[in-house]
Amino acid sequence: MIPPDDRGLLVAAAITVAAPLVGSAVTAVGLTRGRPRAFAVAMAFVSLLASLAITMLWSQTDGAPRLFGDRLGGGRLVCIDGITAVLLPYVALVEMAILLVAPRRALEPSAVARLLFGAAATFALFLTSHPLLLVALWCATALPTWISVRSTPGGYAAARVFAIAMSTAVLCMAIGTVFLIIDPPWAAAAGWVGSAGGWLVAIAVMFRKGIFPFHSWYPALFSGATMSTALAATMPQVASYTAVRLLIGHVDHPEGVAAELVVLSQLALVTATYGAALAIVQRDLRSLIGTLAMSQSALVLAGLAGTLPMELNGAFCVWISSGLALTGIGLVSWTLESRAGPIRLDTPQGRFWDAPALAAFFLLFGLAGIGLPGTLSFVADDLIVSGSLDEQLHAGLLVILATVLSGIAMMRGWFHVFGGPVDSEGMQHAILPRERLALTILLAVLFLLGLWPDPLVRALDRATGRLLGVSAAATDRDVHDLQDLPQGR
Amino acid sequence: MTNHDIVSLLVTCQLAAPAATVALVGVPALLGRPPSERATSRIVGAGFAIGFIAGLLTLATLVARGFVPEIVHLGSWFSVGHHEASVELVADALSVPYVCFSTGLCGLVNAFARKYLHREPGFTRFFLLLAVFGTGMNLMVLAGSIDVLFAGWELLGISSTLLIGFFLERGNAVRAAMRAFATYRVCDVGLLAAAVMVHRAVGSGDFDRLFGENWPNGTCLVPAATATIVSLLLVFAAMGKSAQVPFSGWLPQAMEGPTPSSAIFYGALSIHAGAYVLLRCEALLDQSPLARLLLIAIGLGTALHANVVGRVQTDLKSMLAYASMTQSGLIFAEIGFGWRVIPLVHVISHAILRSLQILRSSSALHDRHALEAALGGHPGADRWALGRLLPEGLQARIYRIALDRGFEEMVVGRLFIVPVLWLLECAAELERRWLVFLGGDAGPGGGRP
Repeated sequence: MIPPDDRGLLVAAAITVAAPLVGSAVTAVGLTRGRPRAFAVAMAFVSLLASLAITMLWSQTDGAPRLFGDRLGGGRLVCIDGITAVLLPYVALVEMAILLVAPRRALEPSAVARLLFGAAATFALFLTSHPLLLVALWCATALPTWISVRSTPGGYAAARVFAIAMSTAVLCMAIGTVFLIIDPPWAAAAGWVGSAGGWLVAIAVMFRKGIFPFHSWYPALFSGATMSTALAATMPQVASYTAVRLLIGHVDHPEGVAAELVVLSQLALVTATYGAALAIVQRDLRSLIGTLAMSQSALVLAGLAGTLPMELNGAFCVWISSGLALTGIGLVSWTLESRAGPIRLDTPQGRFWDAPALAAFFLLFGLAGIGLPGTLSFVADDLIVSGSLDEQLHAGLLVILATVLSGIAMMRGWFHVFGGPVDSEGMQHAILPRERLALTILLAVLFLLGLWPDPLVRALDRATGRLLGVSAAATDRDVHDLQDLPQGR
Repeated sequence: MTNHDIVSLLVTCQLAAPAATVALVGVPALLGRPPSERATSRIVGAGFAIGFIAGLLTLATLVARGFVPEIVHLGSWFSVGHHEASVELVADALSVPYVCFSTGLCGLVNAFARKYLHREPGFTRFFLLLAVFGTGMNLMVLAGSIDVLFAGWELLGISSTLLIGFFLERGNAVRAAMRAFATYRVCDVGLLAAAVMVHRAVGSGDFDRLFGENWPNGTCLVPAATATIVSLLLVFAAMGKSAQVPFSGWLPQAMEGPTPSSAIFYGALSIHAGAYVLLRCEALLDQSPLARLLLIAIGLGTALHANVVGRVQTDLKSMLAYASMTQSGLIFAEIGFGWRVIPLVHVISHAILRSLQILRSSSALHDRHALEAALGGHPGADRWALGRLLPEGLQARIYRIALDRGFEEMVVGRLFIVPVLWLLECAAELERRWLVFLGGDAGPGGGRP
């Protein structure tokens, strides 16, 4: 029986998933009357509103996770907690921005249907902690991406690399999850099966997140796929969410982290630094965005594997800030590419006077991604650096190095795209109102959360406290619900 | 309304006025409707004027009360566990005179640039960046916590980079901007790490938990070991922003930016940001003889290097850049000697003189040409009187070293930049080959139309 207070949450969750799913079906059967963008944006907007409703409703609760459906392997069919309430609107905003900015030629009905289906699967993934459902949704999110990349001209190689990485990831995830269900490693009498399950899930997360040495698909996807496909596949960071649900959930932090998480965090730190360093010498804009996305995504995982609330809080802030900033940069680049063709970084391209508005947006998103004071990334960097240094000196130093290098790479990218001799016969590339609207909304969110971060940070503090099992006010209900959580605390 | 309320209001005005102009000019520009030239310069100028007047009133209030500092707590920005970032400003004998001086100078440069950059395509961009710089400067100067100081510091670095690369169509400007940004970014590590250290040591970034008593007679409230580490990190951060050897190569190149921004950044305010931070944390330096010795060595080394190299420069802006560097080095040494008021006076007087010289540089060249025409020849170059006392062979050798800018560029390039870039290029090439192996054909994106 669902408590009356939770019905609103459940309805909002259903609408969040159903809107893009219905949109996908309607678009696929050709009922959008030649206006797939308007319809898709409307569906994405409904999802955004519903996810914001979840956030609002959640803020009025006592903070205990809301779990619905049968219990299996420590998870539930529907799981709404502080993490979901914070991340769901972020994913919805990214999806809507992609649909608003996408050039017309990228919005054929089949492409829109795939994007909406992928969005629905992503929303569903963020609303569950059920291990088998997570596996199914990994497939459901990866498949449309693979089909899209494969159908992109020149995307065959990227599709192949993506297929190799994703099939390995899904296979490891499926076997690992089954092992975890059979022999939960957090149970008192856990054996080697559960341990193997943990390692397989960790390997799956590494593949899906592009952690070194399984990172190659990340820049390849940005180089070979359309920007919408690459952004929709990488920005939500479904593997990070899975790590939160399956790996972080059963680690007994007060006694020390599990070996899987230690390895994951160290490799993630290496990837974050390596990706940022590699970004400095990239020769084209898409590769730059791909390597930076890889670095930031790894930084999130490095923080999530930490044991301090501040580190986890910083990781979630990096998740949102870098996601919004990189989405903005990706969309600006796509807009510029659709008008002026592929953009090289070998030499300064001199695009500033062709597209001053796009230059301004690129710069602001770039700065918002590298810690400009007044944006969320400044807060995120502060938290993750402080948290990492508090925990381990070398981790903190690597995080600092990664942020320094990504900053240099980002500014090099901006100066090489927009600086340089002007082509006097070049065309002016005006920005369209819908593009400006989407980019302005993304920027506004980054600045708003940067200038007034306290509500977000407090919400995350509550959520991470529960993840780490250090909830301040453990009421009877809290205790009951904590026992229901995957970590079994 | 109490005295504290009045000072709080005035200090908030000093910060809010230039910050508001960033929004007033920046938001319409971003929405595709930038204000006119006149409106832009007036809005930004008004922001500086309000900040300046508020600064003078605060100064008058402080003087009347014998320079007793006022801590202005604007609230908590965010907090997680024991880590709290509070927005705390301080009005004391160091910050208020400095903010009056910096805001006044920004206002003057604003007035100068209105005509100097008339009909320049990047007119709005320049004034917007000037407003960002003014906001960052005031934030850094008025900071009562290391978090706020770091935020201001970052804004200075970003606005400086973008103004060096203002003439985006010039390859040299783009390269110079990247060079400056990379130097800033590397050295910012020092301030970031210092901020984390301070949080770990006292549980917050507030200066009043680091120092006791009032500036310039502050006392350190943390153990000597912590003070030494934080001081060394701060010295490292200051070296980048204040162009001290071996991080000085960016400064002569930075003169690629428009003259008004060169004047205020590299003649006046930005170049002294490092010195200001060191003066603010003077109590920490008192606890750290090692940091003070390092400061003296770096400062005197930079002064000597810049003085010698500056003498053989053939363009006026490079000469002025090296002259700035020389004085900046001397100020570092003065701080290292433990003086407080002398470096502050030196900073302000040097900043006024140098910014005037840089602003005058364009017309000074014109005057020089007029003088040469009137004399019918070269008026004769100034010789280095002390240099003539040296043996001829040594003179020639020093001249050669000076022409190569003390080999600083070469050493930094060969020891750090070239090997690192080579390694990264190798890694990128390996990545490309691996992708070709995995993906077949030309690799991902290879067949992209």
